[in-house]
Amino acid sequence: MNSAVEPDVQTGPAPPDPSWCDLVERIRTADPSGMEGLYSILAKGVRYYLWRQLGPQDLDDKVHDLFLTVNQSIRNGELREPARLMGYVRTIVRRQVAADIHGAVQSRRTRVALDSGVPLSDHRPDPEHQMIERQNQDLAMRILGSLHKRDRQVLTRFYLREEPAEQICREMDLTETQFRLIKSRAKARFTELGRRRLAPRAGLSPVTH
Amino acid sequence: MHIDMVAMAQELNSHPDEGELEKYSMGDLREEEDRFEEHLLHCEHCQRRLAETDAYVAAMRRAAAAI
Repeated sequence: MNSAVEPDVQTGPAPPDPSWCDLVERIRTADPSGMEGLYSILAKGVRYYLWRQLGPQDLDDKVHDLFLTVNQSIRNGELREPARLMGYVRTIVRRQVAADIHGAVQSRRTRVALDSGVPLSDHRPDPEHQMIERQNQDLAMRILGSLHKRDRQVLTRFYLREEPAEQICREMDLTETQFRLIKSRAKARFTELGRRRLAPRAGLSPVTH
Repeated sequence: MHIDMVAMAQELNSHPDEGELEKYSMGDLREEEDRFEEHLLHCEHCQRRLAETDAYVAAMRRAAAAI
């Protein structure tokens, strides 16, 4: 995963309005361009979703399996509203994620029963991502360390303790605007420091794989 | 002028805002999660934004825990 080094992208261009109906029709008629179009979407969007939910293990295989499942079910006419393609894909992906988690839990139970102490699977990030995570943590610690105690407390309560914004504002006598400013300044600082740190590096996000 | 403003509004509305990204990253985007994820599945722009937000939230959590 990439760290917070990308420029502020909120104001970037909106994606073109995809014509899902056209894409679905091409898939239904076995037009290779339809399958290519579907794969290019799944290879990025679904890859990222799965990576985020399940980790990097067997990611390529999972994306490929999902592509085959979605492609076949569309060709079987199971997608009734082509305009809802992404909702349909999401449903299938979520089902797959649930099945994977269920399978992992079952596997763990079996393995624990057979041999206590056997790890389920290695979901730890690879060494490069671990290094990025450590660097990001260092940046965040620098930022937190440079803040006034009160602002640091706000961020700690929000990000670490996951207290609701309303509760933090109420108990710390902050307006919503003040709360947002504390958060947005810290994030802007993080982005700025991260950009300086990683400017010469290539992106490492699974999004770009 | 009116058309430009409509186009601008549509563009701004097409991507989740920073608050939604952060809520999703923290597992707290409930009622809007369907729409968000459907958008995320095909929008590389927002996949990058979410990756950045995830990295930031994770770093802040670890840092706050360590301090």
